Amino acid sequence: MTLQTVLDLLLGGISLGGIYALVAFALSLSLATTHVLNVAHGSFMVLGAALATLLVQVAGVGWPLAAVLLLVSFVVLGLGFEAAFVRPFAARSPEEILVGSILVTFGFALAVEALLGYYWARLVDPQPSFSLTFPLARVTLGGFAVSGTRLLILVVATGAITAFHVFLRRSALGRAVRAVAQNYAAAVILGVNPRLVSRAIYLTGILATATGGVLLALAIPLEPYSGLRLTLVAMTIVVIGGVGNLPGALFGGGLLGVAEVITAYALGSVWAPVVSLLVFFTVLVIRPEGLWGRRRA
Amino acid sequence: MIRALGVLAVLVALAIPVLGTRDLVTATFFTFLYIVLALNYDILGGFLGYMNLGQGAFFGLAAYVTVILLNSGWLDGLGRGDMVAAAVGGAAATAAVAFVFAYPLFRLSGAYFAMATFAMVLLTRHFILNLPALTGGSYGIYVNPRHFLSLYLAYFLALGLLLGSAALNRALARSRLGLAVTAIRESEPAAAAIGLDLFRVKRRVLVLSAVPSALAGAVFGLQAGYIDVDAAMGVDKTLLPVIMALMGGSGLVAGPVVGGLLIRALDVLLKNYLHLAVPALAVYGLILLGIGLLMPQGVLNVRRLRPRPAR
Repeated sequence: MTLQTVLDLLLGGISLGGIYALVAFALSLSLATTHVLNVAHGSFMVLGAALATLLVQVAGVGWPLAAVLLLVSFVVLGLGFEAAFVRPFAARSPEEILVGSILVTFGFALAVEALLGYYWARLVDPQPSFSLTFPLARVTLGGFAVSGTRLLILVVATGAITAFHVFLRRSALGRAVRAVAQNYAAAVILGVNPRLVSRAIYLTGILATATGGVLLALAIPLEPYSGLRLTLVAMTIVVIGGVGNLPGALFGGGLLGVAEVITAYALGSVWAPVVSLLVFFTVLVIRPEGLWGRRRA
Repeated sequence: MIRALGVLAVLVALAIPVLGTRDLVTATFFTFLYIVLALNYDILGGFLGYMNLGQGAFFGLAAYVTVILLNSGWLDGLGRGDMVAAAVGGAAATAAVAFVFAYPLFRLSGAYFAMATFAMVLLTRHFILNLPALTGGSYGIYVNPRHFLSLYLAYFLALGLLLGSAALNRALARSRLGLAVTAIRESEPAAAAIGLDLFRVKRRVLVLSAVPSALAGAVFGLQAGYIDVDAAMGVDKTLLPVIMALMGGSGLVAGPVVGGLLIRALDVLLKNYLHLAVPALAVYGLILLGIGLLMPQGVLNVRRLRPRPAR
């Protein structure tokens, strides 16, 4: 294994980890604020990848226009999803929300993926697969050539995570989101509007997740039925890093990303999806409070 | 009344192979298998209150182990008993897997538990797909024709498994173990306070719920003569039982049977007659969505409609 290979694997792993961290952080924030476990989370990655592939690869739309169209679509989709499938649970107890929401979002994910796979196969390509290429050659950095696409993924993912972080830390709405995540009742007593928070977190979360899907499709092709597996990857990172914890999400995402890339290199790419599942079960057995977090009272 | 209906249903089930067409027998055979899965699902889903989205993993795993055991030739010395031995081996292996998975799974509860059971299905699928030397990978695996199970024998075996599963749920509801399970469903802290070992009870019912599903998987594999991951462990195997139990009334012995008949009628209608421009899986997704939005406690479950005391 040459130094070049090590560098490629590391960059591949970290850029993948950046995508995972972004998506997992969005999942854990929506979970912390609304107690809705969004099983369809990964399906929004698939939808992002599918729509971007449709626009850029199939219809030949340029990247700037495609980005605007994607933004508009997922703003509408995010607000619609929140209104239809999250808000009806708002008045219930957390335990009821968890079980009801898994039925609703699991059903939504299945329906969306089945329809996407069916119609894509009929109308676009009999073997549905969403992958994107970006016109960027290898970039030479300090004597080593590294993949331009991977660098782009890393830059965009870092930017999106930073934007997310700044939104939560600096804006009034972001502070409201954090307040609701920490203590729902106290936040509401202090005048925070939980509906607004729920809408804001699903809007930003689904935008972040769809961005993650577009980035992932730049690295590896996605299938219509990848969504549930990707939700589990995000859940694994939440298990590792704790709910609503950005450093934990970065740590968990980086860990899984690097582990998947190394596994794919050493054993073949078919074993990469097994890594996150094995990590998930292993963490549950040896350290159910998460690798990062502390045991909660 | 219920008993009379049950006797009538069994009589109809016995008459179908005599009077019905081969298509009807096949459709009913699959209905029985799904109802077995739904009844087994309900041990955790209805009695214990833990939603297991991984019932299909037990079914598929046992189908694979049974077929692999028969094809390996290790059982050839047993003569005609080899198929029984293979099915028992498949069920034992599945029970062992369920026993091991109990350790990570029961660290969780609620929706997290449900997602973890789904992760169990994905993990099993990946291992089957990635070990082609053993399982045939994505090409699937054929059963040696001398081990084929005739449709009629398979039909009666499936009917037996259905009646056995119903009897198991009924016996469980009246047993000491069943009381412990109900106590855990109603309140885990209270159940722990009266001295129940929660984990051991949960592990025991998980293994118990896996065995009939495993035997159903073995019958399925030997009858089909060919299995691949989608046939043995598709999303339908794992999801339809949940929908069936919820539709019919989770936590009642007759519930999964009624729900199973309803959903299977819909399934046959969708796949063979209606020719809608949407895949059947999308319809199931929408049904699940509707149940979750409108009646997350299940459709016909009157018992659970009583308001629960506040915690």
